[in-house]
Amino acid sequence: MLGGGDTLDVVSSRRVRVVFWLLAFATVLLAVRITYWQTVGRGALLERATSQIRSDLALPAHRGFIRDRNGAILATTVDLRSLYAIPGRIADKAGSAARLAPLIGQDAATIQRALESGAEWLYLKRWLSEEIAVQVADLKIAGLGFENEPKRLYPNETVGAHVLGFVNDLGVGQLGIEARYDALLKGTDGRLIVERDPANRALAIGLRTETPARNGADLVLTIDLVFQAAAERELRAAVEKEGAKGGTVVVMDPKNGAILALASYPTFDPAHVAQADPEALRDRAISWSYEPGSTIKAMTVSAAIDQRVVSPTTSYNDVGYAIIGGRRLNNALGKAWGPTTVLQVLERSLNAGAVFVASKLGAERLHDYLGRFGFGEPTGVDLSGEQGGLIRPLAEWYPVDLGTAAFGQGLSATPLQLAAAYAAIANGGTLYRPFVVASRRDADGEQRTAPVAVRRVISSETAATLRTMLTSTVDNGLAKNASVAGYSVAGKTGTAQVPSEDGRYLDDVYISSFAGFAPAADPRFVAVVVLDEPESRLLGTVTATSAFRGMALDMLRSIRVQPDRQP
Amino acid sequence: MALARHRVARPSLRSAAAAHHRATARRQPAARAVATNWEIRTFIGVVAFIALVVVLAILYVGQTTAVSRGGYDVQRLTEQRDELRRQNGLLEVRIAKLDSPTRIESDAKRLGLVRARSVPIVAAEALAAVR
Repeated sequence: MLGGGDTLDVVSSRRVRVVFWLLAFATVLLAVRITYWQTVGRGALLERATSQIRSDLALPAHRGFIRDRNGAILATTVDLRSLYAIPGRIADKAGSAARLAPLIGQDAATIQRALESGAEWLYLKRWLSEEIAVQVADLKIAGLGFENEPKRLYPNETVGAHVLGFVNDLGVGQLGIEARYDALLKGTDGRLIVERDPANRALAIGLRTETPARNGADLVLTIDLVFQAAAERELRAAVEKEGAKGGTVVVMDPKNGAILALASYPTFDPAHVAQADPEALRDRAISWSYEPGSTIKAMTVSAAIDQRVVSPTTSYNDVGYAIIGGRRLNNALGKAWGPTTVLQVLERSLNAGAVFVASKLGAERLHDYLGRFGFGEPTGVDLSGEQGGLIRPLAEWYPVDLGTAAFGQGLSATPLQLAAAYAAIANGGTLYRPFVVASRRDADGEQRTAPVAVRRVISSETAATLRTMLTSTVDNGLAKNASVAGYSVAGKTGTAQVPSEDGRYLDDVYISSFAGFAPAADPRFVAVVVLDEPESRLLGTVTATSAFRGMALDMLRSIRVQPDRQP
Repeated sequence: MALARHRVARPSLRSAAAAHHRATARRQPAARAVATNWEIRTFIGVVAFIALVVVLAILYVGQTTAVSRGGYDVQRLTEQRDELRRQNGLLEVRIAKLDSPTRIESDAKRLGLVRARSVPIVAAEALAAVR
């Protein structure tokens, strides 16, 4: 028989065993669970744990600067503050919208609608100017915040728009240098994986893996901001005065092919591309080919003098027209000049005289020289969207084509090709490949662009002769309006008919142009001005030469060229 | 006599126990002292060990905290640097805008200035010849 104490012992022993087995069971359960999380569920658990403390950030590379040849900033990227809202934290939405509206330039009702749209988070205005951002911050509205976002800025607004191009909202370069050198400019984004504390601050200890961003290269252009501004000012004035459809200016350094200014009108503001007319985005200097007209006569005469089939004093009897291939080709206004020298052909811009010279030269040699001057193929300039113009193959030429090509009809060229061809005359006979990027600088150092001499086109003697003849054309001929007091200027006007879609030439519709360089003896720049369909028709060249003179004055003063003549 | 000698030569069990007791009584203070010393040394050792661990832990935590605080400082300074760079970029843009030939020309026009018709230039050679 058991006593009271023995009974208690037995009960306790049983309870202990029950507790033991319960604990043992729980231990086994825990062990199984732990084994599960350490094996099968490890990945998911690790991911959940790390996602709470780890952030994986892209370190954006800084898009490179674009500067002019003197170091002035043409394009740069700066972080601007974008205003965002968390509507759930804004107590008085209507009041907040009313206070924000005048600052961010939006309607209060629009802002209020956005705040009441049900969105948890939204941008109210991206890329605020610093002054506006400060004013918005001063409102101290709970639920509003700022986020820095990179923005491409163009401090000179429309100046150089066609050369520079623009960058879209995704940071991708479009048109011009921004497109052509996008890969170089944008650099390579980096990556930062780091653990963060509950306040979202990066921890110094713990996981940290960083791949630094590689910033984009800085580009220095051959463009001179003063030249560019002068070119755009004169072009705008000329186009507006003439009521022309558009126009373009190319300014080039004849000694190496560096493009000093390149303007097209209508133009656009790279910072507000969405509001631009699509036609304004077209860079006419490189992507518009037109029949150049009489400016080509300089090439025709160059070829003939280089081949020694004529000289400046060679003469013919001008009857006001020339017959070639059974077709009659008239001088402008049909005027007959009688005995005329080749020099006077350029001074008076005589079509019959150009046909006379071309006939002496022959179709094969004229075709060859036009090709050697760079017509009919792209120049290879480092800008996107260049056209090559058109010179039909010699086998497709009719006899009359020799005559029309001699004065720049029946073939097409871009203003840039024309500038490069005149640069060859100006520099002594060498055709250079035009280029816009003078150098690029990145973490590896600086790389400069070496000028590329494509070929010798004419002899230096021929080039010198042409410079003298073209100087006389400005001093004594139709291009008198291009003369600049104190400086010798060489150049040639051009008035070209415009072909219609059916191949015939339109009545009373012309493209007026002037190609020239200064100072004539030692040219510092070559400039081509083209006006598309001026309202004054044949007198459009007067406006083109005025535009040249206006630019030349600024440019010669800017680079401090000593006068080579008595004013 | 023989008995007396026997008594002398062979002590009784009781006297042996008493002797042992006395001997033990004589040895006890020394053993107790040895035991006490060992306990004190162990105690001091353990306390010293714990103190060392605590000091090391404090040093470790202190260093970790310092590194962590340094990390926050670095982050704060990096943010300051980035903001200064941003402000510098904005100032560069402002300078470029103010230097823009188009802006200068339009401001000049607004002020009623006109373009110079001619700029007198003195040739360096002629000047040198006069001197």
